[in-house]
Amino acid sequence: MTIGRLGVVMFLLFVIESTLVPWFIPTSLVGRLYPHFTFVFVLYAAMYGTRHKALMLGLLYGLLQDVVFYGSLLGLHTFAMGLIGYVTGLLLEKRKVTMMSALFTIAVCCMVYEIIIYAVYRVFWFTRESLAYAVVDHMLLSTFLQLGFALAVYVPARRWVQSAIPVRQPEKEEE
Amino acid sequence: MRNKRLFFLMIGLILFIAVIGFSLRDRQLSAPEKFVNDSVAYVQQWLYKPAGYIAGFFEDIGNIRSLQEENEQLRTTAAAYARDKIKYNVIEKQNAQLERDLKFTERQRQLNDYQYLIAQVVSVSSDPYNPTIKIDLGSENGIKENMAVVTVDGLIGIVSKVSAFSSNVEPITSLDEKSPNSKSISVTVLGRENDSFGIIATYDQENGRFEMTRIPENDPMIVGDTVITSGLGRVFPRGLVVGTVETTPQAGDFGLTKVASVKPQADFNRLTEVFVVKMADNEGGTP
Repeated sequence: MTIGRLGVVMFLLFVIESTLVPWFIPTSLVGRLYPHFTFVFVLYAAMYGTRHKALMLGLLYGLLQDVVFYGSLLGLHTFAMGLIGYVTGLLLEKRKVTMMSALFTIAVCCMVYEIIIYAVYRVFWFTRESLAYAVVDHMLLSTFLQLGFALAVYVPARRWVQSAIPVRQPEKEEE
Repeated sequence: MRNKRLFFLMIGLILFIAVIGFSLRDRQLSAPEKFVNDSVAYVQQWLYKPAGYIAGFFEDIGNIRSLQEENEQLRTTAAAYARDKIKYNVIEKQNAQLERDLKFTERQRQLNDYQYLIAQVVSVSSDPYNPTIKIDLGSENGIKENMAVVTVDGLIGIVSKVSAFSSNVEPITSLDEKSPNSKSISVTVLGRENDSFGIIATYDQENGRFEMTRIPENDPMIVGDTVITSGLGRVFPRGLVVGTVETTPQAGDFGLTKVASVKPQADFNRLTEVFVVKMADNEGGTP
């Protein structure tokens, strides 16, 4: 798999999360579950690829989300996805990431992502919810949704990312 | 090395704030944005609608029991409709005659002349604070910013951004008086259009109700009244159902006007077909 194909897969995920997923969310949980599947792939790229590719993918798909659903402000998802992708890559690039630590990282990053989104909308007065309410209302539930998705695609995602984004660093160490 | 990273982070942060500040303005979409919007909407429309059909099919099987009841209800409504239709025809003719006699201007005559454009929903945003809905009509189909979007149940949103073949709709559940680009809807009560008045500019996310403000002191509004758009702002047409009054008006901010809470009428989830309301003269109106 090349990086281009990985991009196509992520674009399909982006389309699916805004078209198919809303139909599968039970009526009682509408407004409380928000899928961010492309973001999960950005994190996989950060953990099993390089931080620069993660930054690039994060900026690209964040910008896509921003432009396509432009309501009142642009650039928020671009910034949040790019920043989290890069920082995750920076912290974990040279380590061997097991499945459990990958899922733990994804859970933490999803919470951080939701909190950045909340914080920016709160600062610009688009919402008046308190942070505690927002955490209980949608952040925790959405994080669990993302975790479930991450677990489901762990094996193919890891393989795709590792074949699409070759990592040079460990090979040097082996030599 | 570390300093370089920090430097880029700072540059990124400044850029980010600049872009947000720039995009907060009331601006039209640029050509690349329109292109991305239209192409993505084209892909999305192949997925959203079939998924809706499948989900709708299973829902229908679930609802099969209540069909008999619904059928009876509809028959009563149809009978009432047939009766009202005769009355309406007579009154419409009379009204046209009176308008001619009173020498109404063209503008006055077209005031209540609306066109309903059927649009398909192509996707919904997965951002909790920006619940934008995309529809498959754009400026090529005559859509403009700030047009009202309704379903058969009532008002659901306002067109916020327009591309050539698709547009973004902001649901009225994201209205907030204090947000930087706030919009407000002037409303009245069905049956007492000339006596009641209120402004809906805020939706309370936590209890799922609209806040209707600026209700005059001596307003005869009571609990259970149907709230409709008044059409006074010249942006929304008259008579679109918004919801029902749920609390008796209480004294508001400074005690000069009253505040009441309004329960939304339309269902904002799982939308498939919506109508964009096009007014005869939609130029030069601000909400």
